[in-house]
Amino acid sequence: MSSPDLAAFGNVAVANLRKVVTEMVRYLPNTISLLVTFYAIFLFMLLGVRVLGDPAAADANIRYVIVANAFWFLLILGVSSMGWEITTEATRGTLEQLYMTTMPAWFVLLSRMVATLAVNVALLVAMVALSMVTARQWLNLDLVAVAAILPATLLAVVGLGFMVAGLAIVFKQIQAMLQIVQFVFMAMAFVPISAAPVLELAPAVKGIDMARQVLAEGRALASFAATDWFSLLASGVTYLALGLLVFRLCERRAMTRGLLGQY
Amino acid sequence: MSTSAPPLLELTGVHKAFPRRRGEGPVQAVDDISFRVEPGEIVGLLGPNGAGKTTTIKMTCGLIRPDSGVVRVCGHDVARHRHRALGHLSAVLEGNRNLYWRLTARENLEYFAGNRGRSRRSVRAEVDTLLERFRLADKADELVSNLSRGMQQKLAIAVAMMAGTRAVLLDEPTLGLDVETGHEVRALIQEVAAEGRTVVLSSHDMPVVQHLCRRAIVIDRGKVVTDDQVANLLRLFASRAYLVRLAEPLPADRRARLEREFAIADGDDVLSFAVELERGEDLYRLTRALEETGAVVEAIERTTVDFEHVFRQLVRREEPPSGERTLRWGAAHVVA
Repeated sequence: MSSPDLAAFGNVAVANLRKVVTEMVRYLPNTISLLVTFYAIFLFMLLGVRVLGDPAAADANIRYVIVANAFWFLLILGVSSMGWEITTEATRGTLEQLYMTTMPAWFVLLSRMVATLAVNVALLVAMVALSMVTARQWLNLDLVAVAAILPATLLAVVGLGFMVAGLAIVFKQIQAMLQIVQFVFMAMAFVPISAAPVLELAPAVKGIDMARQVLAEGRALASFAATDWFSLLASGVTYLALGLLVFRLCERRAMTRGLLGQY
Repeated sequence: MSTSAPPLLELTGVHKAFPRRRGEGPVQAVDDISFRVEPGEIVGLLGPNGAGKTTTIKMTCGLIRPDSGVVRVCGHDVARHRHRALGHLSAVLEGNRNLYWRLTARENLEYFAGNRGRSRRSVRAEVDTLLERFRLADKADELVSNLSRGMQQKLAIAVAMMAGTRAVLLDEPTLGLDVETGHEVRALIQEVAAEGRTVVLSSHDMPVVQHLCRRAIVIDRGKVVTDDQVANLLRLFASRAYLVRLAEPLPADRRARLEREFAIADGDDVLSFAVELERGEDLYRLTRALEETGAVVEAIERTTVDFEHVFRQLVRREEPPSGERTLRWGAAHVVA
């Protein structure tokens, strides 16, 4: 039996994208509650900025909140969703079937994660638009800059997703941890690197910071230094590699201890 | 020079122990299991709960790593080349739980085919054929959550068929099904085997095993207790099982005397009892003993045995139903 070709990998990706979209439509109340939560949190933040914030910096702060809120949700959805997915698959009894393919399980999960991220990014774009209309504040929609920054940022998100997926395969009950992690993600999305330089080492934070400067502050893509790009790329690649490593180690442990089918 | 094809499945000296809580020793789930399954065989993998059947099946699929020993599928070492091995092997491990309940029957088939690298277009005709064949065509666009348990089970087997592999492992394929659906699933498995696919099924449903399998591998406490053709086992046990009919009930003290010498169980009524003999010549010993106890014998008949009986004789862990005496004939006598 020969190794799977590129088309086979493509078919796995398409099958998982179709599944994610289909289930998202079928679980419509879940999707709607997610969007309502996003919008409600944004409204609270908007109210906070308008009532408590410095009126002179209100516009800039609102744009900051719009971008940070979107990235916070992206982190939650991108990372936590893998934990939920694995836990749900183990509960349903389908996790082992995902391993019963001729394709690498990590690729099946990667496809699932990328599909989930893609769908969530599309939803978040719509929510960001709604936020802008609500606040009557317009972001600097430099699509080229976003297209340059976002992929490397998402690499780190995927890496984190793999770490969470690996832990979920071994420990299953990681819901409590995922809830706590949401607050860590909040800090990662809202605290600028200029206020806490050490955050540059955290996954995805460099990308979020750069995207925020472009979208909220109108910074030009060309104005970023080579070191910024290096930091962004190094962070993305490092966390992706780390995520895959953690996932493979957890997978190995699960297979040694017979944990794949257990819940 | 001719080279013979490798067996479809081959387990050699496989061990697996699972750790328990701290301070307690590991649980030896599988203890030196070896067997081969040749192409086209239908093999029943049997054993009481906790015997090591599921661990054996999951090690064959590469879902659990053995501590030692080798599992090969079509000559591919599962530990080293799991994906190549899975090109020849599919499995239904948890029946209807192997499906996505929020997808339709058709979407499940397409999704699992997609995860094996096949495009939706290339499997369309195959999906239709399978749905038709498994009598699910009219439910193709129904959510799995709306299907009956029997239909879900059939769909889970169809998903395994979709992989187009030479061997299929089925873990408890008739568990929880009503009689009619059980028979339908049984017929489908027979059809699958008739295509030349190798089927290994683990089951507690002995009529299913007797009906479908030519060969049975019985596992108990992680070890192979017996590995033989079902027909041979039935013959072996039938030749040793007799029903003694008496003209009048045997007093308890005399029966106790017989029980000290023979493996005896209750018969149909107080005027009969069943006896297992290890060798044909033991029949002479039995008649002598009956004569000595003063039993008035009306007839000694060879009994017909079903696979349920054979299985219970091979695996003696569970208590027999109340009122039934335990036969003393042990599994060790039939291990090759």
